[in-house]
Amino acid sequence: MTCREVIPIHPITPMPHAGNPRLVRAILKNAPVCASFKLPAKACRHGLEGLSIMGVDQIKASLNLGAVLQNLAELCRLDPESQKLIRDWDVCVQFTVFAGPKAWVEFRGGECRTGLGTTALSDVHLVFVTPGHLNAMFAGSAIPPIPVKGFKRLGFLKNEFPRITARLEHYLKPGPGMLDDPAFLAANTTLTLHTAANALRELVKTEPTAGKIAAGTPTGRLQLAVGSDGPAAWVSFSPNGMEVGRGRLEHPDATMTFRDIPVAQGVLSGKEDGLAAIGRGEVVIWGMLPLIDSATLIMDRVERYLA
Amino acid sequence: MTPYEYPKSTELLARASKVIPGGIYGHFGPPPYVPVSAYPFWSDRAQGAHFWDVDGNRFIDYMCAYGPMILGYANPVVDAAYKAQMEQADSNSLCSPRMIELAELMVDMIPIADWAFFAKNGADMTNLAVMTARAATNRKKIIAIKGGYHGTTPWMQGPGHHGLTDDDLNHIIRIPFNDIVALERAISQYPNDVAGFISSPYHHPIFTDNELPAPGYWQQVQALLKKNGIVFIIDDVRAGFRVNLGGTCEQYGFKPDLIAFCKAIGNGYPISALVGTEALRNDVSKVFHTGSYWFSAGPMAAAIATLTELRRIDGPKILRETGEKLAKGMIDVAASHGYTIKVSGEPSMMYVRITDDPTLMLQQAWCGECTRRGAFFTSHHNWFVSTAHTDEDIQETLRICDEAFKAVKKTA
Ligand SMILES: Cc1ncc(COP(=O)(O)O)c(C=O)c1O
Repeated sequence: MTCREVIPIHPITPMPHAGNPRLVRAILKNAPVCASFKLPAKACRHGLEGLSIMGVDQIKASLNLGAVLQNLAELCRLDPESQKLIRDWDVCVQFTVFAGPKAWVEFRGGECRTGLGTTALSDVHLVFVTPGHLNAMFAGSAIPPIPVKGFKRLGFLKNEFPRITARLEHYLKPGPGMLDDPAFLAANTTLTLHTAANALRELVKTEPTAGKIAAGTPTGRLQLAVGSDGPAAWVSFSPNGMEVGRGRLEHPDATMTFRDIPVAQGVLSGKEDGLAAIGRGEVVIWGMLPLIDSATLIMDRVERYLA
Repeated sequence: MTPYEYPKSTELLARASKVIPGGIYGHFGPPPYVPVSAYPFWSDRAQGAHFWDVDGNRFIDYMCAYGPMILGYANPVVDAAYKAQMEQADSNSLCSPRMIELAELMVDMIPIADWAFFAKNGADMTNLAVMTARAATNRKKIIAIKGGYHGTTPWMQGPGHHGLTDDDLNHIIRIPFNDIVALERAISQYPNDVAGFISSPYHHPIFTDNELPAPGYWQQVQALLKKNGIVFIIDDVRAGFRVNLGGTCEQYGFKPDLIAFCKAIGNGYPISALVGTEALRNDVSKVFHTGSYWFSAGPMAAAIATLTELRRIDGPKILRETGEKLAKGMIDVAASHGYTIKVSGEPSMMYVRITDDPTLMLQQAWCGECTRRGAFFTSHHNWFVSTAHTDEDIQETLRICDEAFKAVKKTA
C-alpha cells in the first residue's frame, strides 16, 4: 500500500481564496468549519519557516498580481454590473514591482483583459518599490505606488478603478445569505476556481515547497470543472513550468469534476470534506491522479500567505 | 453477467462520513478507486481468495488486504494457531515464549538475520531501521528512492504533505531506483554524513510500471555502501515472503544489513519485524522503540504458523506460478480485443497497466468494469495473489477480464 504517494489523500480542501488578504479572510469567515483551528495568518508562522520576510512578500505579491488581479477579466465576463462599469473605459494599467512580479490589466471596447509580465501598450505604469509595497495596496493601505507613466490618468485609478475591485470584493466576500442566490453562488465559485488555478502557478514559481511538489509531478494537464457545462479551468505540469487556462481541454490527462455549483463551492471554500465528497460521488476524479494530488497539495498552501 | 451495484456500501459511506474523517481514511479511502461508483467499500466476510461486500457481491480478491493475506483469508492452519494462543494469553504483562520461537524461526529462515525485533506496522520497522543506522554511524543523512514508500512518518512523506514541516525532510535524499551513479553522487555530496540507504528490493511505486533490479545493481550498491560505512536497509514490508522465504534479497543475490518485514508475516494478524546482522545487534538494542501491542502473543503464534506453512508448501513458488498464469492470460485476453497489457514487477505482486492510454483512464475504466463483475482490481497499485487462488479463480478472472474489455469498448 502506499498512502501518501497516492491520490488526493490529503483533503482536496481547503482551496485557496488566494492573494488579497482582505478578500480571502472574508471568504474564510464563510468557512467556519475549516477555519476554526487556524490562527490568524499573522500569528501562524507554520509553513513560512525557512522563508525570509522578503521571500514571503514576494510570494504574496505574486499571488496578488498573478491570481487576484487576473480575476478582473473573469469578473467582467460574468458580472453585468462590471460590464456596465467598464463599458467606456479605455485604459491599460501596468503594475511593476521593482525586482518582483509584473502584471497588467486592460479595459477596452467593453472588455477586460489581463496578463502577466509587461505590455508595451500601457497608458498608466505603476511601480512599487518592494513586494510589500504592492501587498499593502492590495490590503487597502494608502501608500500610493509611484506612477512612471500616465500622470493624466491618475484620476481614473483613484476614482474609477476601485469600483471594479469593489465588485470583485463583492463576489469574493459574500455577506450573510448572499450565497443562497444561485447566480451569486455561481459567480463566486467561478472566481474562486480561477483564483485557485492561477494561485497554483504563482506558488510553483515562487514558493520552494510548491516548486518541489511540482518537480515531483509527472507531466500532464489537469482539468478542473463544474458539471458538464459549468465553469472550467485547467493547469498543466511540465518540466518547463506550469501553465494555467480557462475552459475545457479536449484531452486532459486527469479530470476533477464537481457535480454542481454548490458542491464546488462547498469543497473549494473548505466547508465540505473533499475526500468524503469523492466518496459520495459528488466530486469525480479520473486519469493521472498524481496531477490531482499535487495540484490540491499546492492549492492548500495558498492560505499560508494570507497575512 | 449483470454488473454489481453497491447500494448498501454507498449508504454506509455516507453514514461513515459523518463520524470518520473522509468517510474512510488512508489507503482504503475512496480517492484512488476510480470510478468510485465501480467499487465496494465495506465487507464483513472473507474466505480463501474471496471476499463478499455488504451488498452480498462476491469478489476474487487481487489486493489480499494490500498484501497480508498470503495464504488466503481464514487459513485453517494459521487461524488454529492464533486461536490456540488466544486461549492461553495474548496481551499480557510479560512476554510470551512465542516471541523467542518466532525470532528463532526467522533467524533460521533468513540468511542475513542474526536477530529479530517485533512490532505491528511496517513503518514501526522502517523507522527502527533508520534510527539504528543513525545510532550505529552517528550520521544524519538517509538516502531513499524517489517514489519509494516506507510508511507515513513525516520523513517518509513527500514535500508539502499536510502535517509536515520543511525540517522533516532535511536529511532525506531521494535518488532514482537502479541508478548507481546517483547513489555515488549522493554519498560524495555528504561525505561521512550518510547513515543509511533504504530501498525496497525492487521498485514498486504506484501509478507507474514496477522495476526489477538491473543485473549487478544490488551488488554494486552493497559494495559502495560497505566501502562508505553506510547501513544498508531493505524495506521488504510488501514483497517479503512473496518472492523468497529468505528475504527478497536472496532472490537477487545480495546481503543487506537490515530487513524490515510486515504484511505477509502473520497472514493478516498484526505483526511486523526487523531482522539484522550481528554487527548491528548492540546498536539496535540501544535504540528505545516500543509499543502497547508489540508483545501480543496471538499474532506471533500466527506468524510462526504462517512462515512454517509457507515453507512447507513452498509459498513463493505457488505465488509465482499463479501470478504468471494470470499475467499471461490477461495479456492474451487484452490482445484479443486489440489492447496491450504490460505486467511489471514480480508475478506474485504484479503491476498491471494497459499501455494504450497513458492517462490511465482506460485502465481505470477496465479495472472498474472487472471489479463490477467480481475481480477486485485496483488501477493505481500493484496487485497481490495468495496461495488460495485456484486455477478456477484464474479462469473465472480471465472470463471477467474479457467481459470487461467488451464493456469498455462499448462505452469508449
Ligand atoms: C514497501 C512498504 N514499506 C512500508 C510500508 C508501511 O507499512 P505500514 O502501513 O504497515 O506502516 C508499506 C505499506 O504499504 C509498504 O508497502
